[in-house]
Amino acid sequence: MPITILQPAPVPVFNDTRNDHASASDSDSDEGGVDLEGDISMMRPSKRARRTEDDSIVTPGEVITEDPQWMRGHGTYTTRQAPAIVSSVAGTLAKTNRLLSVRPLRARYTPEIGDLVVGRIVEVQAKRWRVDVGASLLAQLPLSAINLPGGIQRRRTETDELQIRTFFSEGELLVAEVQQLYGDGGAVLHTRSLKYGKLRNGVFVAVSGTGGGGGVVRARRQAFTLDLGGASADDAEKIDVVLGVNGYIWISKHVEGEGAAAETSGPGINRVEESVGLNVYSSQNDDIPMSTMREIARVRGVIEALVEHGLRVDEDMVARAYHEAVEMARGDGDGEDTLYLGGERGRRLAQALVGR
Amino acid sequence: MPREAEPSLNERAFVVQALQEGLRLDGRAFDQFRGLDLKFGDHYGVADVTLGKTRVLANVSAEVTAPYIDRPFDGIFTITTELSPMASPAFEVNRPTETEVLLSRLLEKTVRRSNALDTESLCLIAGQKCWSIRVDLHVLSHDGNLIDGSCLAVVAALRHFRRPDTSIEGETLTVYTPAEREPVPLSWLHSPFCITFSFYGEEGEIMLLDATLLEEQLRVSSCIISLNKHGEICQIAKLGGTPVEAVSLIQCASAALTKGKELSTLLDQKLAEDSKRRDKGGLLAELSAENER
Amino acid sequence: MPLDTSTYDLALLRVDGRRWNELRRLDGQIRTQAAADGSSYLEMGNTKVMCVVSGPSEDKRRGQTSASTATGSNAADVAVSVVVAGFSSVDRKKRGRGDKRIQELQTTISKALASNLHTHLYPRSTISISLNVLSQDGSLLAALINASTLALIDAGIPMTDYLVACTAGSTSSYAANDDRADPLVDLNNQEEQELPFLTMATLGATDKVAVLVCESRVQVSRLEGMMAAAADACKGVRDFLDQVIREKGHKMVTEGTIEKGASMAIEIDA
Repeated sequence: MPITILQPAPVPVFNDTRNDHASASDSDSDEGGVDLEGDISMMRPSKRARRTEDDSIVTPGEVITEDPQWMRGHGTYTTRQAPAIVSSVAGTLAKTNRLLSVRPLRARYTPEIGDLVVGRIVEVQAKRWRVDVGASLLAQLPLSAINLPGGIQRRRTETDELQIRTFFSEGELLVAEVQQLYGDGGAVLHTRSLKYGKLRNGVFVAVSGTGGGGGVVRARRQAFTLDLGGASADDAEKIDVVLGVNGYIWISKHVEGEGAAAETSGPGINRVEESVGLNVYSSQNDDIPMSTMREIARVRGVIEALVEHGLRVDEDMVARAYHEAVEMARGDGDGEDTLYLGGERGRRLAQALVGR
Repeated sequence: MPREAEPSLNERAFVVQALQEGLRLDGRAFDQFRGLDLKFGDHYGVADVTLGKTRVLANVSAEVTAPYIDRPFDGIFTITTELSPMASPAFEVNRPTETEVLLSRLLEKTVRRSNALDTESLCLIAGQKCWSIRVDLHVLSHDGNLIDGSCLAVVAALRHFRRPDTSIEGETLTVYTPAEREPVPLSWLHSPFCITFSFYGEEGEIMLLDATLLEEQLRVSSCIISLNKHGEICQIAKLGGTPVEAVSLIQCASAALTKGKELSTLLDQKLAEDSKRRDKGGLLAELSAENER
Repeated sequence: MPLDTSTYDLALLRVDGRRWNELRRLDGQIRTQAAADGSSYLEMGNTKVMCVVSGPSEDKRRGQTSASTATGSNAADVAVSVVVAGFSSVDRKKRGRGDKRIQELQTTISKALASNLHTHLYPRSTISISLNVLSQDGSLLAALINASTLALIDAGIPMTDYLVACTAGSTSSYAANDDRADPLVDLNNQEEQELPFLTMATLGATDKVAVLVCESRVQVSRLEGMMAAAADACKGVRDFLDQVIREKGHKMVTEGTIEKGASMAIEIDA
C-alpha cells in the first residue's frame, strides 16, 4: 500500500490573534510578522531537509554542504558515509575562511579567555572558590588569583586559606576576567586588577547569555560609568554598569577610585598597593542616596526592556535607552519618578531606539 | 548508592570488536540462548528458571479478599518483583532501581495488561469476595537477561499453580482444602514470552539474543518484544538508546516469534513432565471436580 | 464502541473525522519561558504539554536523579522529570511521583534524547528537562518527545537531528479480516482505548527508530504497516517542528537580534 501522510492542518486564524496577544510586547513589526509566515509556508523543507537558497536559518539535521573543501566548526558535525557537514543546532551560518560554523539562536555562555564576567560564588573550597558564571560548568577562582587587601604582594599562606571566607563567601557576587580554559570548557578566573573584585552597592540583573535573545555582546568596553549628566532631577550622579559577557549584569552606585572608573582613570599597576583599600572585601553597602537608588532601578528597567524587545545590550545602547527613558518619564507627565518600563512603555522605548 | 562496576575501556573495545567479527565471549551464536532450565517446586506455583548464571524464582499464592470497588467482577492479580542485594550489590532493598522499575512495568504489561490471566474467573461473589493472586518474583542471581528469565518464570509459575476449589451454595462460600478436593488450575488465556534483543555497533547493526550482564552493560540499545505462540505481540519496548533501522526491528519481531514458539514448546513439555510426576497412581483425573470445557 | 468499525469501513473516516493518514492539528511555540535556557509548548490535538530545559550546568546533587542515564562516562547526564497535572484528563487522578508508568516515561525520554544529543560536548554536567502535561488526549509519549526536542533546540544544545515521535494504530487487532485492517496515525484518547497502537520516535526524516513502545495486543504481521505509517507521520511532525524553529529564527533575524547568516548558496551551488 503506498503511504502518503498528509501535512498537519495549518493553524487556524484565531490562533494568530491569540499569539499576538501573548507576545503583544514583541515589538512593532505586525505587518512583518504576517509577511514572514507567508514566506515560511512557501519554503517548507522538502522530504530530506536541504538548504533552501534564501533561507538564512539552519536547523539540526540539515545538510549544510557536501563539498569537502569546508571544515566543520561549532554547531556542526560530519556524517560518516557520505561526507557532509550537518548542522547540529538551529541558528545562522558563519563562515571564517574555510571554516563553517553555526551560531545558535540562543545558547548558554561559553567562556573565552579575556571575557569580563560577573559571577556568583556557589562553593568555597580549601584553596579556591567555585563560581557560577552561567556556563555549563562552574568556573574556578584560585586563592592565588585575587588581590589581597591592602594590595600586599606575597605568597598565599595557610592563614589565608583558613580565612578564605573573609574574601569571598557563598552567594557573593564578583566581577572577574577569564584567565584560562580547561579542555572540558571549564574556566579559571582572576580578579587581579582594580576593576575586578567583589560587587556591592547595587543590583544584579541576569539576561540570557550570548548568542541571541538580545544578550550582552562582546564589546570594547564592558564596564562603564553612566553619567546621568543632570538628566536626573537634582544632582548629577554617576552609576557604574558592569555588563558581564555571560549575561550577568551589575548596576551600582559610582564610587570614586573604585570599580569601573579605575579602568580609565585609575592608578597603574605599580600603585596597586596604595589603592587596594582595606575595604575591598567588605560586604557592607555604603550609604546610597534615594535618588541614586531610583536611577539604579531605572537602569535595571532599561536593560530588562532592551532584552525583552530583543535588542543589543552594550554601552551605547544602555546610555541611549536610559536617556530616552528619562525623557519618556518626563514627557508622560507622570513625573520622573516613574520607573515602570514594562508593557506599553517598554514597547515605546524600544520603538524610539530602533527608529533612530 | 553502590553501582554496578562499569566494564573497563579495554573490555568494552574487546567485546565490541569481537562481536563485529562475529564472535561472542562464550562462543554462542548471536541468536542462541544460554542453557535454559525450568524446574517446578514441590508445591504448586513455584517455578525456578535458570538461564546460564541468571536464576529467577517465582512463587504464586492465592487468598480470598474483597475485590476493588470499581471492579466488582474482577479478581485481583498482582506481580511484585524483588531485586535483592543477593543478586547484585547494585540492588538495595526498598529502593527500586531503574532496572527493577522497568522489569516490573514490563511484566505488568506483558502478563497483566495482555489479559493472560482471566481475572473475571477469579470472582467468587460479585463485589464481595474474589481471589487475589499474587506472584512474587525473586532474582537469585543476576547475569544478564533478567527480563526473559523473569517472564518465563512468572508465566510458568502461574500455569503450574493450582488454587483451592470452591463452591457456592446460596450465600455460603466453601473453600475446600486439598485433602477434600483437588485444587484447580487458573483460567489461563495465552502465554506471552519476552524476548530481549541487544544492539551493538555505531548504528545498532549487530543484534544479540540473551545477552549476559557484561554484554548488557555494553549494548547501545535494546528492544524487548513480548508475544505468544499465536503471533500476537503483547508489548514492544525499545526505550531510547541508539536509533535502529526500522527494518531490523521488523526482523526482530519475526525472530522473536520463532523464539517465543520454542519457549512455549519448552514450557508445555515441562508442565506435562511435572504433571506426570505428580500423577503417581493416575488418580488425578478422577479427583478433579472440574469438567472438561 | 467509540470507533464504530462498520462506519469506518463505509466512510473511511475516524471518530474525529480524520482519514487514516491525517495528523491532528499541531501547534508549537518555543521560548515560552523567559527565565529558562530553553522552553517550548506543544499541542497535538488536545494533548498539551510544556517543556522547560535548564542546563547544561554542573549539578551539585549528582547521582540523585533516578532517571538520569548514569553513564558515568565523560558526557552530560540527561535528567527528565514528567509531571502530569491532576486536571489533565477527564477523571481527576492523583499520581504520585513514584508512579512506575511515569518513571518509565522519564527513562524512555531521557535515554532517547541522550543518544541524539551531543552530550560528549558537556562533560560533568547535567541537562535537566522538566515536562508538564496540561491536557491528555492520546499520544502522550509522542507529544512529550516532540516538546523536549523543541525546547532542546531552543536551548541551543547540539543534536544529531530532530527526534520526532508519533503514534500509529491498526483498525483491527485480530487475525480475522487481515487485509482489511488499515493503519491509523496520531491516535486520540478514544482510539487508544479501543485499538492496538504503538508509539514510535524516529531520528529526523530517516527510518532510524529511537523509541518503539507498544502496549497492546496486535498481530506480528500488522507491525510493519503500523511502523511504516508511524515513520511517515514522524516526517510530517518533523516538518512542522522545523517550521516552528525557522519562523522564530526568521523573526529574530528581521528584528536584528541575531546577525544574518552567511549564505552558502552562491559558492556551493554555483
